Amino acid sequence: MPMIEVQNLTKSYHDRVAVEGISFTVQEGEILGFLGPNGAGKSTTMKMLTGFLPPSAGTAKIAGFDVFEKPLESKRRIGYLPEMPPLYLEMTVRGYLAFVARIKGVTSAKLKNEVERVAAATAITDQLPRLIAQLSKGYRQRVGLAQALLNDPALLILDEPTEGLDPRQRRDILELIKGLAGKHTVVLSTHILADVKATCQSALIIHRGKIRVHDSIDNLTQGGQKSLEDVFLEATSDEVESAVAAASAA
Amino acid sequence: MRNALAIARKELSIYFTTPWAWVVFTAMAVLSSFFFIQNLGQFAQVQEMAKAMTWGRVMQMYPQAEAFKNLTDGVLVPLVNVLLVIMLFMAPFLSMRLFAEEKKQRTMELLLTTPVRTSEVVIGKYLGGLGVVTATLLVTMIYPVILAIFGASESGTALEWSTVLLGYGALWLFGATCIGIGMLMSSLTESQMLAAVLTFAVLLPWLFLQSVGMRAEEPYRSAINYISFSTQLENMMKGVLDLKAIVFFATIIIFALFATHRAVESQRWT
Repeated sequence: MPMIEVQNLTKSYHDRVAVEGISFTVQEGEILGFLGPNGAGKSTTMKMLTGFLPPSAGTAKIAGFDVFEKPLESKRRIGYLPEMPPLYLEMTVRGYLAFVARIKGVTSAKLKNEVERVAAATAITDQLPRLIAQLSKGYRQRVGLAQALLNDPALLILDEPTEGLDPRQRRDILELIKGLAGKHTVVLSTHILADVKATCQSALIIHRGKIRVHDSIDNLTQGGQKSLEDVFLEATSDEVESAVAAASAA
Repeated sequence: MRNALAIARKELSIYFTTPWAWVVFTAMAVLSSFFFIQNLGQFAQVQEMAKAMTWGRVMQMYPQAEAFKNLTDGVLVPLVNVLLVIMLFMAPFLSMRLFAEEKKQRTMELLLTTPVRTSEVVIGKYLGGLGVVTATLLVTMIYPVILAIFGASESGTALEWSTVLLGYGALWLFGATCIGIGMLMSSLTESQMLAAVLTFAVLLPWLFLQSVGMRAEEPYRSAINYISFSTQLENMMKGVLDLKAIVFFATIIIFALFATHRAVESQRWT
């Protein structure tokens, strides 16, 4: 059974369509790079997968559970890092992680170990007693990631997890994500194509609410002959065409 | 329920690790002590007068002096009446952040993507708010305690505890209702300031609806009087247990919780 099964998923707002009838599946253990220009519908799709936004049409299933019909079952299997890490600035890192662990159903007996496990995995152990408000952007991002890892979810949905990190931190986080492959399924959105090449087995490029490309990295780059950048630019090229059209019309 | 308690615990920890709760406690303590001292002074004055010219003559001059025969009716019942109004001003500050802050900080996304029901979020947040309101009231419990230790009056036992506790019960019921309405307002906006103003705009007229009712004709007068907070609280603040009032406020609280739930759910659809 695939970990994610999306069929005809659509999100429309009263004046525009953000995601237009997309369908794709992600197998268990796969790391998928979720790419697309700003405003393409990446975050909207992720919000629908996590059950935060109800879709206008279509279905999404996580490990066989419909995110809309069986929200608690599907949410139990997801660790989610939104674009903006959802942090309570007034809390300490430890207090925050303990709170999230509790609402994710970690039992009191395992709570301390679980918090320390994710803190070690994201290298924030020495930050545990600090207030989140005092942390730098990179640390906040890592606390957000630590939160997503709590209770060891089968599926991780990470919206730009390397945003705001310095090169070393970025490498560490990507190593961490790579280490999750096999046992965990990861959907990772990013603008940094090198990150995708380094960590993902496959990539999905979304543009104007529609899927343009969904294939393994090897197939997309034709075994390394083509750069991922070219693939991305080709898949999202009508932006250039329409810009030219708009310019000539003016 | 476990999730609701975890959320209540988080709310309380935020109230107590930020200046929020402490500022409200301080304001409550300063304002209430001002009125307590004033009531106490008045009480002492009447008692002195009675000593000088007997109760009979004092009551001939001021019929309302009856209340000053004992500390409960002379000091504490008027204090509870003042505390009710102070509570009206404090509660919006405590309830305004409950949902507005989560929405502004984008942490709502966390609560709604973890395996927690929306009803658990609402109940947890309400319990957190209720906890801090209860703590605010406990701050003012110092006055009956002071009177019980140092007070003495003509009627023997200094305080009639059943009256005092029923008065505080009325305050608690009112505080619980304020938090419920405040939470509903907070769930409607991202702005904490707006949430506080809206809460205040609902609570203040509701508390004093009675004065509107007085000028109305029957049957409106009875209807308005019935739904007015002050009429409902009247008996309990005098020390008479009133189940009708408990049911009345419990109904408002349940309605507020339900409406908050609908508001949070419906906002995901826009």
